[in-house]
Amino acid sequence: SSGINAEWPLRPGEWKASLVLLRIERAATYVRWSPNEDRFAVGSGARLLSICYYDEEHDWWVSKHIKKPIRSTILCVDWHPNNYIVAIGSCDFKCRVFSSALKELDDKPEVSPWMAKLSKFSTLLAEFDTSDGWVHGVKFSPSGDKLAWVSHDSSINVVDMNTQDKVSRIVMASLPLNSVIWGSESSVICGGHDCYPVLYNLVGDNVVFGAKLDVNNKKADGGISAMARFKMMDSRGGAEKDNSTKLDTTHQNAIKELRVTKMAGAQLKQFSSVGKDGKLVIWDVDALVAAIQGLKL
Amino acid sequence: KQWYQRRLAITAGQEVTERAAEVKKLLNLTKNKDALKLALQNPPIGHQDPSVKEQNYETVLSVLKAFRTPEIDAAVGELSDADVDVLMKYLYKGFSNSPDKAAALLLWHEKAVKKGGVGCVIRVMVDRKGI
Repeated sequence: SSGINAEWPLRPGEWKASLVLLRIERAATYVRWSPNEDRFAVGSGARLLSICYYDEEHDWWVSKHIKKPIRSTILCVDWHPNNYIVAIGSCDFKCRVFSSALKELDDKPEVSPWMAKLSKFSTLLAEFDTSDGWVHGVKFSPSGDKLAWVSHDSSINVVDMNTQDKVSRIVMASLPLNSVIWGSESSVICGGHDCYPVLYNLVGDNVVFGAKLDVNNKKADGGISAMARFKMMDSRGGAEKDNSTKLDTTHQNAIKELRVTKMAGAQLKQFSSVGKDGKLVIWDVDALVAAIQGLKL
Repeated sequence: KQWYQRRLAITAGQEVTERAAEVKKLLNLTKNKDALKLALQNPPIGHQDPSVKEQNYETVLSVLKAFRTPEIDAAVGELSDADVDVLMKYLYKGFSNSPDKAAALLLWHEKAVKKGGVGCVIRVMVDRKGI
């Protein structure tokens, strides 16, 4: 919610709404449960990330803050599969990875390429500044080994935890993307201001355009009937062109977010998209692969 | 570190001056496309000395002026993606600094969008350092 103080997680079993005081002075912008659902992260305009968890002893939700060195509003948050590493994208043009390891939650963090040495809560593990624009979307790959982010400078950036000084980046000719999810360990699907989901493949160190995933559905409504065409010619004095402002994509306005709905192992099977046109669309990957020649996730 | 940054700034300034001379030579030999590619190399983005930026801007403008309208499309077509991004930044600088040249700049703009797309324009909009 964009409420300033409250989160209302429903406790499993009883579905009792409880109030979580985030203690932030600006609007909350993004919220995600962790993979094990024992905590959730809230990004906000207060330039900090709140990690919230339930304290049994006090029957109370605790909110701990990660502040440094975030310099602006957080736009997106994603959890690593290991449940204690979290990545954010923010308006200060950077993508960052933090540790949210908490003793209180019995976290047993392990050394990994993301966490070179055991790091406590709020330690900055990595910071990437390859973007010139706000980072709208961030996502760990299914294994958590790679991180992808999309930003307002119309770029897609991907980094592998083993080679953090080498960010693979593609700068696109199309409008900026708002959201990114992984199709597999080597492909990402993004959606944004161009109103259609698009696939990019990771080939070696490069991010390469795969395909536009919105199969042209102008044909679906059969085009303009002969009768309608003559009617238009009559009313518009000869103009045959269809002057409607309808886009030939499924979404009629920018895609705000993509979400994974079904996976088979590390392969994406189904995802959803929501847009500023108010639509929620479910996309079936197998159907797309069948419909689009040469599509490979 | 400050001394090092000052050295970098001075060398960037020198590079801009040298480039201006090189570009002039190429234009005199009517090697316009080569002049264009050279002019768009290593722009002094975010340089603290505005006169260095101005000088590079003048260099780029002098090249754009040298082209006849039908030659623009081919010239832009030969640019790399990075060069088109730089060109677009200079075009927008031109729109704001030299509005009298807007007509000519618009001819270039159309071709640059054809090559770099709207993404190229977006990158000019989000650029904070200034060319």
